[in-house]
Amino acid sequence: MMYDLDLLEHTDTVNELLARYGVKFGIYKNNTFKEQLFPFDAIPRIIERDEFDYLERGLKQRVVALNLFLKDIYSKKRIVKDHVVPEDFIFASSGYMAECEGVCPVKGIYSHISGIDLVQGKDKRWYILEDNLRVPSGASYPMIARELCRRSSPLTFQNNRLEDNRNYAKLLRRTLDNVNVGGHTVILTPGRYNAAYFEHSYLAEKTGAHLVNGSELRVKDDKLYYESYNGKLERVGAVYRRISDEYLDPMNFNPESVIGIPHIYDVYRKGNVALLNAPGNGVADDKGIYYFVPKMIKYYLGEEPILSNAPTYLPFYEEDMKYVLENFDKLVLKDVAEAGGYGVVFGSSMSRQQKEDFIELLKAEPRRFIAQEVIDFLDIDILEGNETLPRKADLRAFVLMADEPLVWKSGLTRFSRNPDSFIVNSSQGGGFKDTWVLSQ
Amino acid sequence: MGIISVEQTDRLLWLGRYSERVYTTLRLYYNSFDMMIDEITDSYAEFCKMIDIPDIYGSKEVFKEKYPFDEENPDSILSNLNRAYDNAIVLREEIGSEALSYIQLAIYDMNRAKISRAPLIEMQRVIDNILAFWGIVDDSIDSEQVRNIIKTGKRIERIDLYARLGMARKELVREIDRLVPRIERSGMEYRKDKIGALKELVTQPEINYYRIVYEVETIL
Repeated sequence: MMYDLDLLEHTDTVNELLARYGVKFGIYKNNTFKEQLFPFDAIPRIIERDEFDYLERGLKQRVVALNLFLKDIYSKKRIVKDHVVPEDFIFASSGYMAECEGVCPVKGIYSHISGIDLVQGKDKRWYILEDNLRVPSGASYPMIARELCRRSSPLTFQNNRLEDNRNYAKLLRRTLDNVNVGGHTVILTPGRYNAAYFEHSYLAEKTGAHLVNGSELRVKDDKLYYESYNGKLERVGAVYRRISDEYLDPMNFNPESVIGIPHIYDVYRKGNVALLNAPGNGVADDKGIYYFVPKMIKYYLGEEPILSNAPTYLPFYEEDMKYVLENFDKLVLKDVAEAGGYGVVFGSSMSRQQKEDFIELLKAEPRRFIAQEVIDFLDIDILEGNETLPRKADLRAFVLMADEPLVWKSGLTRFSRNPDSFIVNSSQGGGFKDTWVLSQ
Repeated sequence: MGIISVEQTDRLLWLGRYSERVYTTLRLYYNSFDMMIDEITDSYAEFCKMIDIPDIYGSKEVFKEKYPFDEENPDSILSNLNRAYDNAIVLREEIGSEALSYIQLAIYDMNRAKISRAPLIEMQRVIDNILAFWGIVDDSIDSEQVRNIIKTGKRIERIDLYARLGMARKELVREIDRLVPRIERSGMEYRKDKIGALKELVTQPEINYYRIVYEVETIL
């Protein structure tokens, strides 16, 4: 066993320190906001160097292709014209934004920070479960956990040679600076009642960016400014926005947004500010589009995909619908419009009536769902008291597009605390682990 | 020096005020609680009057329990601590995770004291955390402006409380002297004439405490 028992003995201490530093996520239950601690399990996920090299190649390939797809979709749409992706999956996607047509972000980068969710099957193969190209969160948790684990058990880290994951802030800063058009770099947060507020504030602290909310920014003469206390306007060159597209600009998107900045999108459209990630990315991380990512890799890069998708079926296609209906009980069905572990149902867990109702819905709205084979995840041990117990876990890897694609040599490993559950999301009660990438 | 918005300035100021309010009222509560051990006639009403909070308690036993810990009561010490946290939590990149962590620890310790059989002992940790917070503000925050805004809030709150409590002249003189360089270097707009008025008030043979509260509360 690579990890040291000494580290495991300090699990409670590390969790206490995480609480001390306010490592929490917000959650709304019954219309009430609550902050919850994100339970940390000290047994790390360990990835060998060679294995991570393979993941790194596959992740870079995927994110490069996804960026090319976004550029294509909002300009020439070659991939649609060449019948690789049906137009139904583009224009009917809730993530597609007509306002982004013909708008090219700074340096042509759309997804600067991508969170790619993977699982490892019992056959040891890695499968991509989901691409998150809008506002993926989670990097801050393993970053701070590593810091505290090193404090709690220095010997563990002396005895095991790992990639230091505390460099995420530097990678992020490099990514932000790469597209900054001149001026300050800010992290735009919807505020402390956002689920990922800890991350917004922690990344601001660690990158040296200003954490701002919408009311502190304003547009003047086609440029974006931060208004300081004495009324001086300070130019902003890059915005790492942690609010979703529809709330970004009430003048261009949802007019009811009170957390956005009027006309920021006009500034962006003119190339006078970089927005990370670019608006409109939702079209590429739609669960329906996920099916087509391997095809995109072949189409744009002329390469075979290095990493595989989980076997996926689109009921939109007649043949796939037939397969889904015939194999309903062994599939997991996902609503493409949902996220965070919501809208996921297992065929095997439905009652007869539920199944009939669901199939009716599926037939009425085939574009709304995808079906996937249930991957038998490789279990990962977690510590429960003095016992180790196997649990399902995924890995969110982070790929940053700076002057070159960068894969963070770590990731957020989330696990289910429920022995019967495949759902690992923090909002559903899951915990997290550090992800160790061995450096030798 | 970094750039600070109006909202951040306001939050820094109130972080200073609320953390000072917690610190001073806790110390006061200690003294009052000690007096209440021996007293025959309840004195808590006088305490409420002094610090200008409504007497909603009805008995000293209820006061002893509710004044520090009742989150539903906006005047309780815990409510003030929560407000310090509400300001601190949105200032992580300005004050740093370490400084923020002491406010967070104070909340944990206050909640621990709430369910403890010896709350006064547990609350000592809250005082320790507030003191550690002040220490790290001095030690770790690079921006002089940020430090000065927080400290201005602290001094304004202290002058306000000390005046309400009718503290000795020398205490007030000291606190006003400490406020002046802070507010001057905070970068905030303030009423210079109010500083003069405060200095004048503490030289009068009969100190007008209400006037001091008024002047310090209208200084910004």
